[in-house]
Amino acid sequence: MMPPEDSSQPRLAAGCRWGAESKPGTEERVVLFPEGAIKLQGTGRQVLERCDGQRTFGEIIKELQAQFRVADPAKIRSDISQFLEQLRHKRIVDY
Amino acid sequence: MIPNPLALIAELTHRCPLHCVYCSNPLELAAVTSELSTAEWIDIFQQAGKLGMLHAHFTGGEPLARPDLTELIAAARAAGLYTNLITSGIGLAEPRLKALVEAGLDHIQISFQDSREAAANWIAGAKAHAHKIELSRIIRRHKIAFTVNLVIHRQNIDHLEEMISFIEQLAPERMEIAHTQYYGWALRNRAALLPTRAQLEKAVETVAAAEKRLAGRIRIDSVVPDYYARFPKACMGGWGRRLMLINPSGKVLPCHAAEIIPGLNFENVREQTLESIWRDSSSFQRFRGEEWMPEPCRTCDRRAEDFGGCRCQALLLAGDATVTDPACSLAPAHHIIELALAEANSDAAVSQPVSASSFVQLQRAENLWDYRTNPE
Repeated sequence: MMPPEDSSQPRLAAGCRWGAESKPGTEERVVLFPEGAIKLQGTGRQVLERCDGQRTFGEIIKELQAQFRVADPAKIRSDISQFLEQLRHKRIVDY
Repeated sequence: MIPNPLALIAELTHRCPLHCVYCSNPLELAAVTSELSTAEWIDIFQQAGKLGMLHAHFTGGEPLARPDLTELIAAARAAGLYTNLITSGIGLAEPRLKALVEAGLDHIQISFQDSREAAANWIAGAKAHAHKIELSRIIRRHKIAFTVNLVIHRQNIDHLEEMISFIEQLAPERMEIAHTQYYGWALRNRAALLPTRAQLEKAVETVAAAEKRLAGRIRIDSVVPDYYARFPKACMGGWGRRLMLINPSGKVLPCHAAEIIPGLNFENVREQTLESIWRDSSSFQRFRGEEWMPEPCRTCDRRAEDFGGCRCQALLLAGDATVTDPACSLAPAHHIIELALAEANSDAAVSQPVSASSFVQLQRAENLWDYRTNPE
């Protein structure tokens, strides 16, 4: 297991990409990858849309902590870290 | 309301430069003269995109045998589909790969037959191994997902660990370790391919150890051998539930082998739309849902997980496509599988050499298997 570090720059792995824009009225978007697809909405979508290979993991955390100020910042950090680690194991995200 | 299909399997041609003894293509291959035109395929991809499908899998035969492949990939991508090329790699040099990637190819999947060159070429019935290694290096220079597929069976399973290390050096994102499935040419050659129980158990351990070791670097997807499983595989994720396959001459099938089932009439994209075939054709409705199920499936807790297994396997082994897949330990016809396993594990069969121990001896053995042929 290898969680992202603050300086890591997460990005979609080679051959993984966003599908078509979500239909009006829904906030669901799809990430396509070899042999599968995941539907994303809410926080999951917000995290993955920030995985652009430019922002660092530390910056992504800060942006989401600022957005969800009522939630526990430490929990936000650990949730996002786990989420990205899972996607890395599926070879959907690299960092 | 029937949900939309998720993926299109485009069998572009049945022509292939390899002659793999485990090929799942039908024994009766579609003739070259009946193949769909470029314009017909482009129309299919547009229909698939409108139907909400997500993936297009380009396969065959060897899809590279179609000179219009770049154009077809571009059309599928333009229709919003994720494009996956399943190939032997024969006929692919860097300029063509570059053109495919520029046309929007997302993922390439190369099959390897073995880690050892002589054995790999022997199983494929063609000199392909060295080229595939070279091609793998070229692929890594392009921004594209790369999967290496390895089909395992009695003749190569003993050195699975060596094969996994070999694949690791090719640096794919994903490795598929697929036990042979016994359809088409593989069923004809089953006696030479079905592993022993001891071989299988060792392979399961080897895969589990590799998954752990490679976690985060290479994802391993392994296909379990249903002959040794307690319950059957959810073939195609259920009949008419997720996938549509278009064969080279435009017939629309719920799975690769469905044409062997007598009494089913398959529609052709030259005459009907994908949507009407998906929703209304009698062939897609025949085994969809639970209405058709016999006992013990009909009242089984697992019926929504494995859908009664594979219809084609039921036909091939039990002679009746409407019965429970004989691979299921609860199936009335399960004794057919048990008989095949007893033969594979008999003293006489176990004492036969496999390639790892005696490759030269095996090569000389006549009638070990039949190589896949090519269509007229």
